[in-house]
Amino acid sequence: MSVAQQPSSSAIPTSAPESAAPEEDIVLEVQDLHVYFYTQIGVVRALNGVSFKIPRGKVLGIVGESGCGKSQTSLATMQLIPRPGKVESGKILFREFNNQEPIDLLTLERNSDEMRNIRGDNISMIFQEPMTSLNPCYTVGDQIKEAIILHQGVDKEEAHTRAVDILRKVGMPNPERIAISYPHQLSGGMRQRAMIAMALSCTPTLLIADEPTTALDVTTEAQILELMRDLQREIGMSIMFITHNLGVVAQMCDEVAVMYLGRIVEWASVDDIFYNPKHPYTILLLRSIPRLGSEEHIRLESIKGSVPDPYTRVPGCPFHPRCPSFMPGLCDVEEPPETTVDGNARHTVRCHLYT
Amino acid sequence: MVNFLIRRLFYMLVTLFFVSIIGFALIELPPGSYLDSELQRLRQLGGNLSQSQIRSLEIRYGVNDPTYLKYWKWVSGAVRGDFGESFEYKKPVGELIWGRLLFSVTLAFSSLIFAWLVSIPLGVYAATHRYTIPDYLITAMQFIGVAVPQFLLALVLMVFATTVLKQEVGGLVSQRFVNAPMSWEKFWDFVSHLWIPIIVISAGSTAWLTRVMRANLLDVLNMQYIQTARAKGLKEGVVIWKHAVRNAIHPLVMAIGGVLPALISGEVIASIVLNLPTTGPLLVQALIKQDMYLAITMVMFLSIMLIVGNLIADLLLAWVDPRVRLE
Ligand SMILES: Nc1ncnc2c1ncn2[C@@H]1O[C@H](COP(=O)(O)OP(=O)(O)O)[C@@H](O)[C@H]1O
Ligand SMILES: [Mg+2]
Repeated sequence: MSVAQQPSSSAIPTSAPESAAPEEDIVLEVQDLHVYFYTQIGVVRALNGVSFKIPRGKVLGIVGESGCGKSQTSLATMQLIPRPGKVESGKILFREFNNQEPIDLLTLERNSDEMRNIRGDNISMIFQEPMTSLNPCYTVGDQIKEAIILHQGVDKEEAHTRAVDILRKVGMPNPERIAISYPHQLSGGMRQRAMIAMALSCTPTLLIADEPTTALDVTTEAQILELMRDLQREIGMSIMFITHNLGVVAQMCDEVAVMYLGRIVEWASVDDIFYNPKHPYTILLLRSIPRLGSEEHIRLESIKGSVPDPYTRVPGCPFHPRCPSFMPGLCDVEEPPETTVDGNARHTVRCHLYT
Repeated sequence: MVNFLIRRLFYMLVTLFFVSIIGFALIELPPGSYLDSELQRLRQLGGNLSQSQIRSLEIRYGVNDPTYLKYWKWVSGAVRGDFGESFEYKKPVGELIWGRLLFSVTLAFSSLIFAWLVSIPLGVYAATHRYTIPDYLITAMQFIGVAVPQFLLALVLMVFATTVLKQEVGGLVSQRFVNAPMSWEKFWDFVSHLWIPIIVISAGSTAWLTRVMRANLLDVLNMQYIQTARAKGLKEGVVIWKHAVRNAIHPLVMAIGGVLPALISGEVIASIVLNLPTTGPLLVQALIKQDMYLAITMVMFLSIMLIVGNLIADLLLAWVDPRVRLE
């Protein structure tokens, strides 16, 4: 079913001349990823064929309502899907360096040395809850040092120096002191900075940030986002930036993948997503963000209906029960294939309106 | 830290003061005194005692003194290390209880350490292998551990030790060592006598702590920081033992505080069945006979151990969990 790469080559000969870079440098390529949870009441199909690519040095935003499978996508990349979840099929190809043969992470044993060497060193992760994502029993410095010692094989003193350096880099006011503080002595924003420091301590190729600012207040959120953007440019890493907030996407990302019920329904550059959205779901998502300057009494639109319960399989397009452009006999029968939009190979959508 | 210790010490003294008053009052509360049972015994032996004889005995034992006077007599001696004399044994109380206290404390802490050594690994294993056959087996053992009465367990182990291991059981040491001077052999004999009471006494708490460990660890394993630790690339063993267990261990540390009172009540039965010179049986006897100075002194020492146990638990907890330190 994977049509992910077809359009860029022969399928649409008339396509975009400027994006004709012959060999794109892709850091992470997820192909047709399926993740199922085998629960006692039934099988939850959390991911149903997710495919996307993250180019080197770029930020890909993954957006969608909660429960659509964003976190599972990130956890699958780290091979940390919790029980009773299982990766059913798919490929997760990772290239640490350009022109390298990609490694399919899913072929590595979950707790093997190879996989553990990638975790925290080449790919690292920040989580949503800064309040609980640091271990309360160890100092911030110790927790950062742990990763440095593990992956860089340096002694404790050198690790300490590096930990303090990285804490300074993430904008901690008094890094020496923060290093010997415990998580509960820091505010939420500081903890998230500490998490970022930890994630960046081994200069990863890819950073996965799962809603890193959702739990923070708006001012802190803005600071953290700016910090991440700056560090991303400086280190040149790629980011998989997961959020349910389109406003944040505009600030952070180069490209956006919109996710619905375990599938990517639209993928495009940030500009295309905001100015030329195609999928009805994307359009509705955009309408549901409040805008400055719009008349105050215009009510925000919310998307009708809710996400169907996770145990049932929706036939055809997963969005059809809520879709305003629902075409009976087509949308509820056949799953739409991935198609390019207006001949632009960097904008794809899965919707029968465009096939 | 120093401040904290001084404050705690002060509170401890205040607590002990109230314990001594309340304890004393309670021991005085039942009607009659040690003299009544003593008189009864004397009458049975040699007919009637004249009133004047009774009077002189009363004065000697001071049974008709007002309670506060008795209390004062005892307290003023106690702070100087003189706890009065046991009516029944006609010996200074201190002499009577030191050995027993020492043995009780040894037994209590050996049992606690045994309970930890068994319950922590079992609990961790059960939590990390949830819903597997070993997990079910551990659960079944817990129920047995909680449900089997101590005296029964003691009898079963004694039979097992004598018939299968051909060991002498009961008492502190084997018969041939009772009057022997201390030696490695005697010490070894003592240790080999100790395992039965340790198992008997700690069976219940081991089972309970295993349960607690399993439940807590399951909670902790769902915490975000465990995911963080895994995402760093740490080995699963490090994730479990360094990051998870340390956060799940609070109740086991707090168990130090509770172990002594539990022992005082639990150990009596085991000690009687196994014929062990611990404080439990002696205290029960002293209370029945209204041997009041012996009784109140033991109550005081048990309270001191309880309070010290709690202090140790708090200090350990502060060491394990930095969040406790700053409050
Ligand atoms: N432990 C679990 N058991 C069963 N289903 C789960 C479990 N964890 C996640 N899921 C399913 O996976 C889907 C995707 O979850 P998730 O990736 O966490 O969503 P989000 O986009 O909010 O991050 C959810 O709809 C949920 O039903
Ligand atoms: Mg999520």
